[in-house]
Amino acid sequence: MKREAIGGLLARRRFLRKLGVAGAALAVGATKKEPAAARQSFPTADYDWTKHRWAFGVDATKCIGCLRCVEGCKAENDVPLTAHHFRTWVERYVYLEGENRPRIDSHADPVNIAASGSQREYRFANRYKDAKIEKAFFVPKLCNQCEHPPCVQVCPVGATYKAKDGVVLIDHDYCIGCRYCVQACPYGARFFNEEKGVTEKCTWCYQRITRGLQPACVEVCPVGARVFGDLNDKQSPISLFIRNNRVHVLKPETGNAPNVFYVGLDKEVS
Amino acid sequence: MRTHVFRLLVLLGAGFAAALVAKWYFTAESFYEFGHYRGRSVAEIAAHEPVYKTSAYCQACHGERHAQWSAANHKTVACEVCHGPAQKHPQEGKLPIPADTRRLCTLCHEHMAERPRTQPQIDLAQHGAGQQCAACHNPHAPKLAGVVPALSGDLAAGKKRHAESCAGCHGAEGISPNDTWPNLAGQNATYLVRILGAYRSGAQTDVMMSPVAQALSEAEIQNLAAYYAGLSCKSAVCAKAPGDGAAGKVLAKNCAACHGETGIGSNPAWPDIAAQKAVYLANTLKAFRAGLRKDPMMAGVVRGLSDADIANLAAYYAAQSCGKKS
Repeated sequence: MKREAIGGLLARRRFLRKLGVAGAALAVGATKKEPAAARQSFPTADYDWTKHRWAFGVDATKCIGCLRCVEGCKAENDVPLTAHHFRTWVERYVYLEGENRPRIDSHADPVNIAASGSQREYRFANRYKDAKIEKAFFVPKLCNQCEHPPCVQVCPVGATYKAKDGVVLIDHDYCIGCRYCVQACPYGARFFNEEKGVTEKCTWCYQRITRGLQPACVEVCPVGARVFGDLNDKQSPISLFIRNNRVHVLKPETGNAPNVFYVGLDKEVS
Repeated sequence: MRTHVFRLLVLLGAGFAAALVAKWYFTAESFYEFGHYRGRSVAEIAAHEPVYKTSAYCQACHGERHAQWSAANHKTVACEVCHGPAQKHPQEGKLPIPADTRRLCTLCHEHMAERPRTQPQIDLAQHGAGQQCAACHNPHAPKLAGVVPALSGDLAAGKKRHAESCAGCHGAEGISPNDTWPNLAGQNATYLVRILGAYRSGAQTDVMMSPVAQALSEAEIQNLAAYYAGLSCKSAVCAKAPGDGAAGKVLAKNCAACHGETGIGSNPAWPDIAAQKAVYLANTLKAFRAGLRKDPMMAGVVRGLSDADIANLAAYYAAQSCGKKS
């Protein structure tokens, strides 16, 4: 029922967009647009973004909560070294005996900051050592690079957009720092960089994947909990991951159609 | 047309033209190239230089270390996880070798119920007695060679073989007559089996030992090991060693987790080194440091030792009492 309603909304949005484009074309006539066909390969000489469709997999049953991904991401992407600025993070869900809701914390929890001793390094404190744990696990999170990204929809200046290979990017030269997109993201994947005055988020290490490398978090994950690849390649790690596992996405009811696929999520994880 | 209508139209037209010019002027060059964004920004984002270089990059120069690492069970942990990103290496200097391994390794291996059961985990309070992890574990090949094979030696046959092949150098009672050759009396049988097997297979070589060990059968090795393990080491007489035993005692803290505080270890796969010959101990440590003796654990431990450190350590252990563990 809900899904149909969303489908209807999306169809109406597409129709209105077509109307708008036709109207604009009539009103303005020919635009100054150049044909992109003259170009060989974009955005780099070795990488054609029309030939790839990236996706990401997370196996939460493998994650050990070592937070190497968080530190690796920060080094790779020049993310501010404070506990509260991060492009990827790991959540810990702990169900204690006799409690019906999980306790959730991440590296930014004061107890975990105290355990690491600094805001530049991250570790999960062994705070449930003596507790009676019924069930507990870690869930890595990052930008979902949604098919229908609400963050892109709300940007007033066209500073964030969905690239043709599926990654949602931010143009830091164009971002005016209004933070609408931070509000719009239902996953909390975006943060505001006060130093630069722009919004930041995970790009699946666009500078790496366009060079044929893995994102930094995938590269440093010691247990293979993170999987990355091209959906156009049926033998890529992500294609095999999706084919061989029952996968789930976060908050499917929003209609954003995330491109990060999870294995081993529990009922409370969203 | 009425003048006032004409004026209004001209004004509107001028405004429209001004708006068009303003839009043309203020819109970035590649803005509508692919959609409602600046097309060139894609290339700008892709142009950032990657910071992590991947383990394949490390292999070019650190081939030997890479081979050891990629054959062992830390092969899923990339070089840059522990040593940091290699973007500016080697141009701008060395990458760090983690000093506080107890802090680093526990990021993954501290026991937590939240972790999957398949993850190897330790209880910090009960494992390693506060030692650095790298004291026993080689981070590049962390699994210990502590598997104890079953021993089935015949003492009498071992004594006979000893008299034939070994007594000449290692002494009639397993106490060697000079400082260069090791005492064998009272040594752990499991260790002796392992080390004789290594000489026999060629995994470890020595001008004297290799031909002797190659002439031994598996059973004879077991017999010899059982024989030496049963001898008393009490008669060990240590010559005054050149090193400083007190300084050695401080360094020996790094050895204690495996070899015990006074050189009597807990695991029979590792040698007891209390009251061992000082020159032999020093030579052995130097051989590990030079890579002539190969052992994943020892290689990591001796890497940072100077000649003086080695002499001090040897002096300390040579002076310890070799009384059997209780």
